[in-house]
Amino acid sequence: MLETAIQTFTSPVVLFFVLGLLAAFVRSDLSIPEPIAKAMSLYLMAAIGIKGGVAVAKSGIDATVLSALAAGIVAGFILPFFAYGVLKTFGKLDRINSGAVAAHYGSISVVTFVTASQILTYQDRTPAGYMVAVMAAMEAPAILSGLLLARGMGSKGGTQSFGTMMHEVLTNSSIVLLLGAFVIGMIAGPEGFVAVTPFFETGFKGVLCLFLLDMGLIAARRIIDARSVTWRLAAIAIFLPIVNGAVGTTMGVVIGLDAGSAAALGVLCASASYIAVPAAMRLALPEADPGIYLTMSLSLTFPFNVLVNIALISALSVYLAGA
Amino acid sequence: MIETVTRKRIEILTDKAYVPRLTAAIDSVGITGWTIVPVSSGKGRDGEWREESVMGTDKVFVLSIASEERAEALAEELAPLSTTLGFLLVMWDVEVIRGERF
Repeated sequence: MLETAIQTFTSPVVLFFVLGLLAAFVRSDLSIPEPIAKAMSLYLMAAIGIKGGVAVAKSGIDATVLSALAAGIVAGFILPFFAYGVLKTFGKLDRINSGAVAAHYGSISVVTFVTASQILTYQDRTPAGYMVAVMAAMEAPAILSGLLLARGMGSKGGTQSFGTMMHEVLTNSSIVLLLGAFVIGMIAGPEGFVAVTPFFETGFKGVLCLFLLDMGLIAARRIIDARSVTWRLAAIAIFLPIVNGAVGTTMGVVIGLDAGSAAALGVLCASASYIAVPAAMRLALPEADPGIYLTMSLSLTFPFNVLVNIALISALSVYLAGA
Repeated sequence: MIETVTRKRIEILTDKAYVPRLTAAIDSVGITGWTIVPVSSGKGRDGEWREESVMGTDKVFVLSIASEERAEALAEELAPLSTTLGFLLVMWDVEVIRGERF
């Protein structure tokens, strides 16, 4: 456990995130220009997608891959219901905001997953390539569950039709790029990937470091300005990733995943979206308060996962899998 | 002396995510043009905000020039959405050349 913690806190990726947090807390003027931050997020999505696709092309699709996909999709649908119950009762949030926040906690954070993959790789427990496909499959189900919870059956999607809203959700740039790059990776295969390896492989960790620096800055500045998040919601933002992470890791071990992949499934369940789902909630539940769902997912859950929970989940996966 | 006519300048400060809905409303009342201008940061009733394009929380100005009738029609079209979508709409008189275009 101590070794895992040391590996986490000596990882450049995590240290850049901590630097971002510290810089914002001491009111430094450090910032990453927005077009560069956007470009880095597009690069990371494309790189993660294509590498996952190549890995699946190499390993093929077998029963383990299908069961991991099924577990991820089921978790994506179900986790928001648990989160909704906690948010409504203990969190004392109204129905709309509970549904919106619950959708974030059922969906996933790509950057948390990538950070976890880096840390797990340092520990010689690299998650299987198909976990990228599981991640992509887990983006959308929680959005549907969250909307169902917020609006009930027969949801009209707020100020626009359900069909229009779902079109905007499913054509969201991060989902299109992630899935598109995954398919490209599957088609290109390991041979085709060689030609673009210098771009997508060599620069990946450096870009991830800078992106996490930016995330640290944004997360800390949001928490400094936070007005809508009560101590109850802050507690939930820590409680949910612990429970969801344990559930996901256990599920992974039960369906026969290796320790690294089970930990990755745990991290996916523990993470909360702050890119795709906020964009979807803006469109589908405009009445919900972004100051609540973004602050909880980005400023509380994301740092907790990166700094503490990934190490806990990794240790749990080793314990359960006996690796 | 260049001849000018009085028209309404319309400014809508909105989340970028809602731009398609707002421009569709502008088109629907017969206003022929609009311009999107990015903004970097600000402060409102809910506190400070800043451009965060990765999270999709960036805001923009939607600018347009229209006749008074069309500007009022747009205001009526958008009024029911203003609370839900949380945008800020202001309009005022401006002098424009080639007024027949607006």
